[in-house]
Amino acid sequence: MTSPTMQRRLASTTNVLVRFWRSRPGRIGLIVLVVFGAMALAAPLLADRSGLDAVASRRAGAPQWGSPSTWWPLGTDHLRRSVWAQFVWGSRISLFVGLAATVVTIAVGTLVGVTAGFFGGRLDGVLMRVTEWFLVVPFLPLAIVLATVLGRSVWNIIFVIGVTSWPSTARLVRAQVLTVKQRLFVDRSRSLGASSAYIVRRHIMPNVSGLILANATLAVPISILTETTLSFLGLGDPQRASWGKMLNDAFFESAITRNAWWYFLPPGLGILVVVLAFTLIGQTLEQLADPRLADR
Amino acid sequence: MNTVVTVDDAHVRFGDAEAVDGVSLEVHAGEVLALVGESGSGKTTLVRAIQGIQSLSGGSIEVGKQRDVQMVFQDPTGALNPRHTIYEIVAEGLRIRRERADEKAKVATALSRAGLRPPERFMGLYPHEISGGQRQRVVIAGAMVMEPKVLLADEPVASLDASIRGEILALMRELVDESGLAIVAVTHDLGLAWNIADRIAVMYLGRIVEIGDTEEVLGGPQHPYTRALLSVVPEIDRMEPQVLTGEPPDPRKIPSGCRFHPRCPLVASGEAERLGILERCRGTDVALRVVSPTGSHHVACHAVDRSAT
Amino acid sequence: MTLLEVSDLTVTYRSRSGDVPAVRGVSLSVERGGSLGLAGESGCGKSTIAGAILRLLPPGTGVTGDILLDGDDVLAMNPGQLRAVRWTKTAIVFQGALHALNPVQRIARQISEPMLLHQTQPTKRSAATRVHELLEQVGLPPDRAGAYPHQLSGGQRQRVLIAMALACDPDLLIADEPTTALDVMVQAQVLQLLGSLRVERGLSMIFITHDLSVLTDVCDHLAVMYAGRIVEEGPSGTVFTDPQHPYTGALAAAFPTIGDPASRMRPAGLGGDPPDPAHLPTGCPFHPRCPVAEDRCATTDVRLTPIGGGIGGGLGADADGVRDRLAACVLVGST
Repeated sequence: MTSPTMQRRLASTTNVLVRFWRSRPGRIGLIVLVVFGAMALAAPLLADRSGLDAVASRRAGAPQWGSPSTWWPLGTDHLRRSVWAQFVWGSRISLFVGLAATVVTIAVGTLVGVTAGFFGGRLDGVLMRVTEWFLVVPFLPLAIVLATVLGRSVWNIIFVIGVTSWPSTARLVRAQVLTVKQRLFVDRSRSLGASSAYIVRRHIMPNVSGLILANATLAVPISILTETTLSFLGLGDPQRASWGKMLNDAFFESAITRNAWWYFLPPGLGILVVVLAFTLIGQTLEQLADPRLADR
Repeated sequence: MNTVVTVDDAHVRFGDAEAVDGVSLEVHAGEVLALVGESGSGKTTLVRAIQGIQSLSGGSIEVGKQRDVQMVFQDPTGALNPRHTIYEIVAEGLRIRRERADEKAKVATALSRAGLRPPERFMGLYPHEISGGQRQRVVIAGAMVMEPKVLLADEPVASLDASIRGEILALMRELVDESGLAIVAVTHDLGLAWNIADRIAVMYLGRIVEIGDTEEVLGGPQHPYTRALLSVVPEIDRMEPQVLTGEPPDPRKIPSGCRFHPRCPLVASGEAERLGILERCRGTDVALRVVSPTGSHHVACHAVDRSAT
Repeated sequence: MTLLEVSDLTVTYRSRSGDVPAVRGVSLSVERGGSLGLAGESGCGKSTIAGAILRLLPPGTGVTGDILLDGDDVLAMNPGQLRAVRWTKTAIVFQGALHALNPVQRIARQISEPMLLHQTQPTKRSAATRVHELLEQVGLPPDRAGAYPHQLSGGQRQRVLIAMALACDPDLLIADEPTTALDVMVQAQVLQLLGSLRVERGLSMIFITHDLSVLTDVCDHLAVMYAGRIVEEGPSGTVFTDPQHPYTGALAAAFPTIGDPASRMRPAGLGGDPPDPAHLPTGCPFHPRCPVAEDRCATTDVRLTPIGGGIGGGLGADADGVRDRLAACVLVGST
């Protein structure tokens, strides 16, 4: 990139960031995410790991179903474990799985979508039939089968979510690629001697990236919710604390009947707030994506 | 004369449609050739074939190196990627061929030549920040940066406001006069041809039906189709308007004999019958024949053939 | 007898970044059976005027002035009166025929829609008969009545739009760029059709286009617009052959007369671009591009004034019914 273009891109990007910050929904979403992200990263500082261990908690004299107190800010569960520790350490799983699964979804979905859309023909047909198969297969049975066959671990959850989510991204991307492919500037590029690789890199991708980014920011909350669902159903990693697992335990141990609100409210609200934050960011980004609107 | 493009019996077929059905043509350095016709005439397909983005089903086209032929498009807004800066757009041809040496200087020169001065002011802009006429100049600059021998312009001013057309056309003529560039301008606008073209080729249903110097063809058109086209141009008073009935023809159903005969005013008025050529018009295909002493004016018409022999 | 009288029309669009004056004090009139051509380029306000006459502009748009259609003030009508007038007194043929037609409805249905809405045809059957009549009138084979828009060519779609506009037998037809994007021969066919409709049905017309040469054949009277104002008007023949305003001259020169040696190898055009209505130049809005501008042009705003000793007062006519010639330029008539 040369200096006139670099200067302009820098100015445009700065402009987008500034406008993002100025938009209230975007700002709120970003702040919330930063807070939760910081919490997840700083987990060792915020809550001692021993709070997750039932044996250690018993030794420490933790009560069963204790309501929130000085030592246990969010109370304890049926195994005397600190709910606060589970919440803080659980956020790591929820956020990590959410992000990692989205990366898989976007990567596979974009690859398939661009290949099918750009090259068309037989390849498009084959890829689309595969995509449709994955779309049609009911999610839960597939997830259960995969989790059972592969075993219950964080990486397998990520795999399961990725495998079941990429088709909708692929279809979206393919539709956009089909539109961009028809545009006159692609013809122009070809008439200048461009190869397919050049056209995909310089013309297709930049005009598809906005869609992908918006799709990604909306896919993360979906992945988080899916992880929560899977953990709630007992398909998640039994060794790791996660918000979904907390909800699972709360449900099966009748936390509601016991009025142990401190066990199911924090993870529930946590999920709600994080998902909302991503949605706000995604919507704001969608509005800002076009350079034509950027400088107005 | 230096010939820069040679088209020899070119054919392009799309499914069962013969878009270009046997066209032979030469373009010379330093001239502007107008390719005139309606939709379905094959003029755009022919030009895309010359550029190399459309493959031929038959015949051949010789243009030297691919980079020697560059295109200017009808829709300057659509032809520019809205996410690229003007600099990137003009430099694209060079970058594709990995000719990075002196890139900035070449881009600046091309922008200046296309009338965008000072070039630095435009380099960092996005297409939506400049006007329609300026966008077309950017397209022209993007083509000129490759130092082509031939410029293929597809309706170069059709989407531009009327008052700025003259400037773009003048620019094109300037580029031809100062550097020996050749231009093939595809258009349905005969006024454009009168303004800048040295020669005109009139196309109908995939063939050239008349070709010659602009003064000859527009001053004394020989083919009934050319005469009809000319007669409906609003500024023409000297001719009785001959509005052809029916739609522009479908390349999937090419008529027998002379492909123009179903719409030909000579057939419709009975003139063809009186001349005794009606059978030939309906049954025998007709080729281009010379009709001027200078050898530059060719027409494909049975009525003209008759008088020529 | 005047069918349409527009007086001092001003239209201002409201946008987030401020008000945009699209039309700035335009007055024009159309006689019964007469035809007015409105010429100009993008941003001059001509399409806005068409929308204003039928009150089709976005809600909130500022419209002042008078629009008298057969004596009734369109701007003062309530929604009921307005709906009754739309299509039955005045109809519009839009540009971009492909986008003006509903792609999932057959054209017969679309043509009969206004008839049934306005009850000019009481039953579906009588409407169907009328649709056939209209298709014949516009030169379309009646068997195409069941076709979808994408099955028709550009010229055919334009004819469908004209048939739709004629559905309720309006007095005034407004054609907004009806032949742009059509082939030369198809354009000639459409113009021929419009001309014959005028003659056969006494239809009054407003023809909007940027192609000045087309207007001379189809219209009696011509008004050239620039930056929201009329800058020249008069009988179409003389305005085209003897333009007084420098902009009219430039517009006319953009469509050269074939065979005229003056335009051979000499394309004529103006520098600059048509002005953005949101940022108009000071004084005469044309001065930045005007080939004969003087210093005072940048500071003096200009209004339409009669030239060549007309009766004056704007839209008067002399004893022969020939309308005034008017131009908005400080340099005109100052010799």
